[in-house]
Amino acid sequence: MTAYAIRRTLSLIPVLFGVSLLVFTFIHLIPGDPAVVMLGQRATPEAITKLRKQLNLDKPLFFNLKAATEKKNPAAIFDSQYFSFANRILHGDLGESIFTKVDIATELRARFPATFELSLAAMLVAVLLAIPAGIMAAVKKNSWLDLSVMTAALIGISMPIFWLGLLLIYLFAVNLHWLPPSGRLDVAFHIKPITGMYVLDGILRGNFALVGNALKHLILPALALGSIPMAVIARMMRGAMLEVLNQDYVRTARSKGLSERLVIWKHALRNAMLPVITVIGLMFGTLLTGAILTETIFNWPGIGKWLYDGIGSRDYPIVQGGTLFIATVYVIINALVDLSYGFFDPRIQYH
Amino acid sequence: MKKLIIGLLALSLAFGVASAQTLVYGQSKLPVTLDSSDAQDGNSLRVSYQITESLVAFKPGTVDPKPGLAVSWKASDSAKVWTFKLRQGVKFHDGTPFNAAAVKFNIDRWNDKSNKYRGNKQFVPFTWVFGGFKGEGSIIDHVEVVDDYTVKFYLTDSVGFFPNMLGASYFGIDSPKAVMANPDKYGTPEVGSVGTGPFVFSKWIIGDKVILKRNDNYWGPKAKVDTLVFRGIPEPASRLAELKAGAIDIANNLSPEDKVTIDSDPNLEAVVQKGLNIGYLAFHQKNKPLDDIRVRKAIAAAVDWDAIVDAFYAGLGERATEFVPPAMWGRDGHVPAYTYNPELAKKLLAEAGYPNGFKTEIWYMPVSRPYFPAPQPIAETIATYLADVGIKATLKTEDWGTYLSDYDQGKFPMYMLGWSPDYPDPDNYLYTFFGPTPIKTNLGCESEACQQIGQLLVDARTAPDMATRKELYAKVQRKVHELTLSIPVAHNNPLHAIRKGVKGWIPSPLGSSENLNLVTK
Amino acid sequence: MATSDAYMRTPTQQAWRRFKRSSSGKAGLLIVGFFILLAMLAPLLMPYDATKDRHLRLRLKPPSIEHLMGTDELGRDIFRRVVHGSRISLRVGVFAVGIALVLGTVLGLLAGFYGGKTDMFISWLIDIMLSFPSILLAIAIVAVIGPGISNAMIAVGIVQIPVYARLTRSMVISIKEQDYVSAAMGLGAGHARVIFKHILPNGLSPLIVQGTLSIATAILDAAGLGFLGLGAQPPQPEWGLMISKGFLYFTRAPWISLFPGVAIMIAVLGFNLLGDGMRDALDPRTVR
Repeated sequence: MTAYAIRRTLSLIPVLFGVSLLVFTFIHLIPGDPAVVMLGQRATPEAITKLRKQLNLDKPLFFNLKAATEKKNPAAIFDSQYFSFANRILHGDLGESIFTKVDIATELRARFPATFELSLAAMLVAVLLAIPAGIMAAVKKNSWLDLSVMTAALIGISMPIFWLGLLLIYLFAVNLHWLPPSGRLDVAFHIKPITGMYVLDGILRGNFALVGNALKHLILPALALGSIPMAVIARMMRGAMLEVLNQDYVRTARSKGLSERLVIWKHALRNAMLPVITVIGLMFGTLLTGAILTETIFNWPGIGKWLYDGIGSRDYPIVQGGTLFIATVYVIINALVDLSYGFFDPRIQYH
Repeated sequence: MKKLIIGLLALSLAFGVASAQTLVYGQSKLPVTLDSSDAQDGNSLRVSYQITESLVAFKPGTVDPKPGLAVSWKASDSAKVWTFKLRQGVKFHDGTPFNAAAVKFNIDRWNDKSNKYRGNKQFVPFTWVFGGFKGEGSIIDHVEVVDDYTVKFYLTDSVGFFPNMLGASYFGIDSPKAVMANPDKYGTPEVGSVGTGPFVFSKWIIGDKVILKRNDNYWGPKAKVDTLVFRGIPEPASRLAELKAGAIDIANNLSPEDKVTIDSDPNLEAVVQKGLNIGYLAFHQKNKPLDDIRVRKAIAAAVDWDAIVDAFYAGLGERATEFVPPAMWGRDGHVPAYTYNPELAKKLLAEAGYPNGFKTEIWYMPVSRPYFPAPQPIAETIATYLADVGIKATLKTEDWGTYLSDYDQGKFPMYMLGWSPDYPDPDNYLYTFFGPTPIKTNLGCESEACQQIGQLLVDARTAPDMATRKELYAKVQRKVHELTLSIPVAHNNPLHAIRKGVKGWIPSPLGSSENLNLVTK
Repeated sequence: MATSDAYMRTPTQQAWRRFKRSSSGKAGLLIVGFFILLAMLAPLLMPYDATKDRHLRLRLKPPSIEHLMGTDELGRDIFRRVVHGSRISLRVGVFAVGIALVLGTVLGLLAGFYGGKTDMFISWLIDIMLSFPSILLAIAIVAVIGPGISNAMIAVGIVQIPVYARLTRSMVISIKEQDYVSAAMGLGAGHARVIFKHILPNGLSPLIVQGTLSIATAILDAAGLGFLGLGAQPPQPEWGLMISKGFLYFTRAPWISLFPGVAIMIAVLGFNLLGDGMRDALDPRTVR
């Protein structure tokens, strides 16, 4: 197990190296130039050239052959944009935004908790509704309950999130005034962040009015973002449960006269949970990183919207640093999910 | 109902909310920076305007200059040397005194590229207004401290409206001490900015809001609320939703067509601002066949501009005929509007050798602006009219910042854009659109007629008396119309809304110079 | 595998029998069939030219008999646009999945069949792609190649490559070890022959099931790009784009966004149902 964990962790290194290469290549392939954007309207070519130099955009992307031959110094070949970027990353420096001059690390510290809180809330909503629904659907297979749960789940995976989000806002915020249309917290509330997740911070600081307000802001985006995982988990849960209920040991347990409830909760559920937990883990990774549309609609100050804007404005450090961070989080979560197999199912042997 | 209110009151008191007056302003984005001289967008400037002040201010809701941090100014006979008397006894928020040395520090920081307190800033707006940095076209040669409260500006040329230029909201005076402490990060969420204004920077929660507190030592009318909060809410519909929900007190730049919604809500009040903006459709003549005047005239005649203004401005905007709005001087006043005449358009196209039309692109802005509240539908409508006469125009857009830097590079054959002035002078419109700008593209028109227009604008900039300037600008308007260099579409009176009970808010025709210290709630 | 069953009927007939018994499959077929028919007949029944459509006097009218789904900000009939939108979305879905299917399968075949360094390299590529959230990857691709419906289609297709590559790879590895394949290889059959004669036909069913389901995902992703302004460009009647344009008017005219969303939902639902039905038919081991 430990050996596998170490190997799994080491396997992340080539992947992350590849990710850094890909991100870097991508952003430089995007037509447009931050120097031009930065200078805005009526920029002269001279000013653009100067700024490019200042931003180090005049250096070669990967290998500086010219410098190496001119200076007769083979090491100068690494005097390029990619290697200085990689070098900074390895020293823990993600750089600063070209336009706002804010450190990428500062932005991530402020924004990642927001995205994390939203994803967590979405997943919580999904799990709490989907798991019982999936179990019930499996146990009462082919009943009206099964049918309605499965129909709802199918509709859930078929709806565009951004559209669902708009409908929720229109209904619950604009017309019924039950819930706020956007943002994380009413202006009247202030909190000194501990984790940056307002609900948790509110609880830690004992400010329950703030917790309530933060929860109110979370409901709609969490519902929108959670709709797909909810549907997927419900279908998965039902499928896994049915499979287990058909297996020999469950049949044996039943024939021994154990109560149906005991059979389901003790024997079947434990074994059916494994694939579901895997899916939950993987989907959580997706939520954390893929909430761009939800964040846009609900004006949620998370990572997704920020990255999207960063791509639009050619803010290289934001895209490079931000995407690398997100990819790292994502692969780590996936690795953890892999490792958790062993935790939940001791029968699994790692090779 | 009464019980409910008392209950709510008790509740809010119990949790310690609403005890302090907080005014919440919803605009389309959070600032990019609070270092006003490095800010290119109105959202940044509106916030920094509350913190830092310029030497020259404007009377609320107008473009009439009034004393700001300077109490009076005087030009030399040639208008090449300007003397400003400064307000005495004013202190920056960090306690350091505001004086002539501080003014010189700020101007030198912007004007002199070798100044060591520039940080990593570009100060692009400075080049827009003053023509470049020192030695590269800046009309400011140097600044001299005469005594603690007198500064002299030595210009490279005579400029009669120099004080107006200094009043542009970019040129808020920052505390030298604060700038020197951290030139690179000055204006960022972590550092904020330090000025002399009615509000003090308190906190900037990244991606969420900027919080300012009342400056209790302000030299002028002290703010009526304790706290001023700015939120960035990109979609106009969402801003309205937030206003309806009571989460914000002021929502600016709403869709004109939401006026009905606002009027029918008893809690809201529509604020229609007298606008000084112009929205236009420009041609970049590097792109054939737009260099052919017949083609440009055909396009102008192919589109029913009146119908567009009727449909998308909901009665708040008016059809534009010249590039300077009616509320401003510097117009000819008799330039005719392009009239809808598809037959004429077809005829002109045939004459130009395109009886079956041609293919081109129309670029539209990705965001609503005061002058184009709904750019995409307007672009779509224009394209349908062009399709009627055979011109196939593809619609395109890109990120707003990129758009602004691309339009004058000749990348867009036709593009929608507009202008709200930085300073109240026709120069700020016409020189911007048609002047001999540093890149000399001049909408891609290199003909002698276009160069003449450029020369007229240069002459007008330095002409000694108003009458001459007026005549020169009128001439420019006529020539632009004759050549159909661009098509003026609309002057809009932007729609904003406030919660009932908010009093004293006057939006500025200059876009971001709002005196929010005068607002009560 | 279905082929090893020794029933009287051909495998295809068996699959069809199972499909007919699957109610979700039938419902899916019905919906998808409906949309295909709609897409094919739309130009005949209600011809439409988006580049000339404009009725400024009829702007923002709520649903009525003349305009079943109301009109939008240019006074265009939303019903007509939604109907024509089916042509765009179906095409995007099918082509995007086509791209993913072909490229993904080729990569998976190469990796699974040759193993070793080829496998390592391809798996590395796939792992890198999978460490990006798909929507972000699609946005980045569109940012590079430019917005537009064809490019969005390509982007959505590329994003789905890893799914097929992994699926094919594991399939190939398991089939390769079966006796008849090793026998064929032992008899000196060429690589191409083994791949096309033995491996691909035997692994086709999971690919078909996955393909149907990913058309659903592709339609959703393309609509998402359209919503962000990176997919179809105005005045095309693309559903995602229509929803996003309605955003400006959604307090006043919610129908602009409502109906295109319903259309997306039903179309996607159709492909999901069909995919479920296909799975019932082609992969009978799964418990339904």
